[in-house]
Amino acid sequence: MSHSHSDTIPLHASSQSDIDEIENLINASVLSGPATVLPARPPSPPRAQIPVSSSPFIPSNIPPPPLASHQKPTPVPAAPPPAPVSSSSQGNRTVSSSGFGSAPNTLTEPVWNTVKRDLSRIVSNLKLVVFPNPYREDPGKALRDWDLWGPFFFIVFLGLTLSWSASVKKSEVFAVAFAVLAAGAVILTLNVLLLGGKIIFFQSLSLLGYCLFPLDVGALICLLKDSVILKVIVVCVTLAWSSWAAYPFMSSAVNPRRKALALYPVCLMYVSVGFLIIAID
Amino acid sequence: MDPNLHVQENYANPKTCFFHVLFKAAALAFYILSALFISNFVIIFVMTVLLAALDFWVVKNVSGRILVGLRWWNEINDLGESVWRFECLDQESLARMNKKDSWLFWWTLYLTAVAWTVLGIFSLIRFQADYLLVIGVCLTLSVANIVGFTKCRKDAKKQIQAFAQQTIASHVSSTIQSAFSVV
Repeated sequence: MSHSHSDTIPLHASSQSDIDEIENLINASVLSGPATVLPARPPSPPRAQIPVSSSPFIPSNIPPPPLASHQKPTPVPAAPPPAPVSSSSQGNRTVSSSGFGSAPNTLTEPVWNTVKRDLSRIVSNLKLVVFPNPYREDPGKALRDWDLWGPFFFIVFLGLTLSWSASVKKSEVFAVAFAVLAAGAVILTLNVLLLGGKIIFFQSLSLLGYCLFPLDVGALICLLKDSVILKVIVVCVTLAWSSWAAYPFMSSAVNPRRKALALYPVCLMYVSVGFLIIAID
Repeated sequence: MDPNLHVQENYANPKTCFFHVLFKAAALAFYILSALFISNFVIIFVMTVLLAALDFWVVKNVSGRILVGLRWWNEINDLGESVWRFECLDQESLARMNKKDSWLFWWTLYLTAVAWTVLGIFSLIRFQADYLLVIGVCLTLSVANIVGFTKCRKDAKKQIQAFAQQTIASHVSSTIQSAFSVV
């Protein structure tokens, strides 16, 4: 993306005046009409929009803010008010931005949009990973927009549930559960990478975190009902579910001969979490 | 428009600045004060980490955009490779960003990381592994934001340079053209 890296640009003092001149030039041409308007941004590589699966992407119709002091006082920072800038940027209301004077869509969207986008991403990731769906065979596609919020919530929730069910040493239980799950996810990912597998670090962390969802459900049920037999059954079922969820991603990432080597630690970790759930009372 | 740049400006986005600082300060304050009042480690952990995570989200998605016009994220492209993307507002708006806002943004970012490191050293000295865990998580989140935005800023500077070069070049060529057309 960067052009020649050499510092052929003149010293700062003179370049500052050049930049002022350029700004005036831009403003002059903006006022005169779009015919000879220079791109407000250098043509960046086509910016792939963050693949949002479910929520419709709301096109940003808001060009960059005009003046610093011009901000509308709104509750919890919303987008800056539309600016009376060149007509060229107003024409770019579509999602696929051409990088021409259009405010980068995600940079000026209202906060609420960001929240909604992130939440819907969590939900869609969860659905993709844990529930049967047609995309499971292709791991690259399935967890394309990974995020770590889902795993974070699930790990904390599991720790809290375990801690709540424990009658003694609640803090230790929580700390141990959190540390084991977090460190476990990292180590499992490293394991796959060291086995020569092709997996992206964060994608795998994200996946392993989402696969904790069934165990969360199991832990919650065990918290509410106290019989041992029920606990064993519930834990077995949710354990199988978690392993089933993690299986395609892990196995397709490594060489077929090493599949077992990659999968065994995953199952081991989930089994040990299952034991924790059963054993705590 | 231009005289504003030379006058002492106030914060342009006071609410954003407030929220930017709020969660950071809340996480630090909660962590420090809770040791005095709350004996339950779980609550301390969950609240501190939650506040730190909220702060991470706010800085990455809201105050980064609004205060300094930068944004970074990670994508996985069609080939299955992970690509880090850095985005910035165009040059006009970058130049118009309020100086005080960006000063506050960067300084609080760095100070928080330093504060967490200092607290980490304290708990290391006291051999408190649980608290070290909390600090580890919070520090990771702060450092991630610092690294992301610093890279983003460098990227933006490169773009400004490239843009300036390009604009100078096209300005020169159009001047030459108009000179020749006159002749």
